[in-house]
Amino acid sequence: MATRVERLPYGIGRFTLGLYLLLVVLLMVVGWGIYAYSRQFTEGLVVTGLRDIGTMGGAAWGLYIAFDIYFVGVSFAGITTAALIRLLHLKHLKPVSRMAEVLTVVSLILAAFSVLPDLGQPVRGIINLFRYARPQSPFFGTFTLVVSGYLFASLVYLYLDGRRDAAILAKEKGPLQGFYRLWAAGYRDTPAERERHDRASFWLAIAILPLLVTAHSTLGFVFGIQSGRPGWFSALQAPGFVVMAGVSGIGLLAVIAAILRQALNEREQLHEGIFKWLGMFLVVLILIYLYFMVVELLTTTYAGHHHEVRVTLALLTGGYAWLFWGVVASLLLALVSLLLPYLPEPLRVRFPAFQPGYALATGLTAFVVGVFFILQRMGPPRGALLMLSPEVLRWIPWLLAVFLVLFVLSFFPLFTTSFVASAAVSGLLVNLAAIGKRLLIVVPSQTYGTLLPYGVGTYTPTWVEYSIIGGLFALGTLLYLLFVKFFPIMEVRTAEEGGH
Amino acid sequence: MARYAMVIDLDRCTGCRACMEACKVENNTPTATFWMYVFRFEEGEYPNTHIWFMPRPCMHCDNAPCVKVCPVGARYKREDGLVATDWDRCIGCRYCEVACPYGVNFFNWKEPSKNYYLDWRDKDLSPITNGAVPPYRNPDLEKPYGKERRRTAGGGRLKGVIEKCTFCVHRVEKGLQPACVANCPLFALHFGDLDDPNSTVSQLLRRKPSFRLLEELGTRPRVYYVGGHPPDTEARQIEEVKARV
Repeated sequence: MATRVERLPYGIGRFTLGLYLLLVVLLMVVGWGIYAYSRQFTEGLVVTGLRDIGTMGGAAWGLYIAFDIYFVGVSFAGITTAALIRLLHLKHLKPVSRMAEVLTVVSLILAAFSVLPDLGQPVRGIINLFRYARPQSPFFGTFTLVVSGYLFASLVYLYLDGRRDAAILAKEKGPLQGFYRLWAAGYRDTPAERERHDRASFWLAIAILPLLVTAHSTLGFVFGIQSGRPGWFSALQAPGFVVMAGVSGIGLLAVIAAILRQALNEREQLHEGIFKWLGMFLVVLILIYLYFMVVELLTTTYAGHHHEVRVTLALLTGGYAWLFWGVVASLLLALVSLLLPYLPEPLRVRFPAFQPGYALATGLTAFVVGVFFILQRMGPPRGALLMLSPEVLRWIPWLLAVFLVLFVLSFFPLFTTSFVASAAVSGLLVNLAAIGKRLLIVVPSQTYGTLLPYGVGTYTPTWVEYSIIGGLFALGTLLYLLFVKFFPIMEVRTAEEGGH
Repeated sequence: MARYAMVIDLDRCTGCRACMEACKVENNTPTATFWMYVFRFEEGEYPNTHIWFMPRPCMHCDNAPCVKVCPVGARYKREDGLVATDWDRCIGCRYCEVACPYGVNFFNWKEPSKNYYLDWRDKDLSPITNGAVPPYRNPDLEKPYGKERRRTAGGGRLKGVIEKCTFCVHRVEKGLQPACVANCPLFALHFGDLDDPNSTVSQLLRRKPSFRLLEELGTRPRVYYVGGHPPDTEARQIEEVKARV
């Protein structure tokens, strides 16, 4: 029996001690998130950092909404790559196709879950959103197009795509045989069946592509058509959402593919060409997004209404500047690291070879500066530590940022040779940027964007919000991991199956 | 069917905030909730300064952004023009709050009974309260109103639902004035039917030039201001209320 299980490809069903530990840790994080939610459910949303806009000086939407749109954004990856592969016959990308589809399904589930804690009456929400649905509300699109339609289409696509592999695996005896037979549902991989499947997935891919644009646009319209919120009211919001969704989705797909490449030791099947293609796609999307950002900034700062200017200045030089410039820096660093492998040979040589010393020095300095800054912010030090004036203190975060950028830069020589490393690292960077940008879309327009002269508001998330979001990430990782352990994450090669 | 509107005479307002007080008492709104709020502004440079006041109820817009975005129709426009909140249906998504340009929506961040200025369930206070019924048990506020018979009156309803100024629907349906209007000592606030040419509001609007707040957004508010000007960039708010729960 054990030997048969061993024969399943891609480590399916093999649970090592390390994996069990990981699962336990993930379950604990999910449990902590559930505990945090139970606090919120009994106490009300007062346990979050959210408050009313206006006289209460707060933001009514915060982390939950920001991560909701982030998760929906990530779902872009899956179905786009899968559909593009099918429509444009990008055969060499086939191995990431299922990874991408699973990413879509998991992130859509997370998106649906992150709306729930935002609702003051979640039970009513589940009932009333259907019972009294109003198509006039931009939320309607979020629930029909995104959460229902998109998720359903993705599940169907994933199912159809997996049937052949399920049929192959169902021939092996093992504890999972019944599951595979259920999935295959009579499919035998005959040429006629294959042809029919091919046609079905082709039409499904054609149907999904427009859904992709409309679904992500709907989410943009949730913000983009609110004339009462400066910073939201912009025609660029919807297309911006589509592009940013692509940036975060493709980025996360590259990260997951790189991790699986290492973990499953599938260097041949997940070849460099895949990462090269994902990287190039990412480059194009990042460039479009940067262009959108410049256009938006120029419009508001050059000729914007004074309310618009107030929000924009809060981003550029005010309380949100660290986040805004952090987002810009992450996007630019990602862009540079993606393009480094394309440097011509003579230029590449001039780059200093990677030296751990550089990384260590800049990393340590950044750490020291960061700790120093936190100590300074905590108030007058009790020892002989010097206390800086507020004017000098203002520049410390920027110093910290410089060293952090240098730290990342010191790793860059590594990427001049490897498409995989550069795609994975920039994938991580763009996802951090995406989360930051989502927060910058949601929050400042509420705290700085009141049209009547209320005071400036503040929003600081509490441990409850962080815990719930952490729990959601853990849940997503858990679901993904379990899928990988129960179903082949890439197409099964029949040669492996020993003569089937 | 009446077409209700409010006219606020800025020339008369002295910023006493009696309307805010009246609203809180009438509607039992919880702590840090101001359905009616009075801005106190200062303009100019010392010594040439000018102080003026601007009450801000819900604007009860004809093209209300909050009504448009509500995903379940809990926020709706009544035939007589009142913008009502059905707290039996609200799911607490706060979309109306972020959509509103005037910042008039207030969420029940915690159990309202725990969010009043006085905790009526506190055992130490029982000698003082002496078994009295809390003021938020106003039977008028429990009834359904309007042709649709939906429960829309009063505040401090339920944890996790949104609330805002109702134009005191429970008083208006009885033929009374909203609490803020009835309690203004200087007759700065007026309420009435725009379709009736002899109502105070119609007469005031005929006699004096008026403006509405943020009219450029196309929200078509039902609250008119006379005898002043909209707050511009020159207006600085003095002693702004920052009441958080």
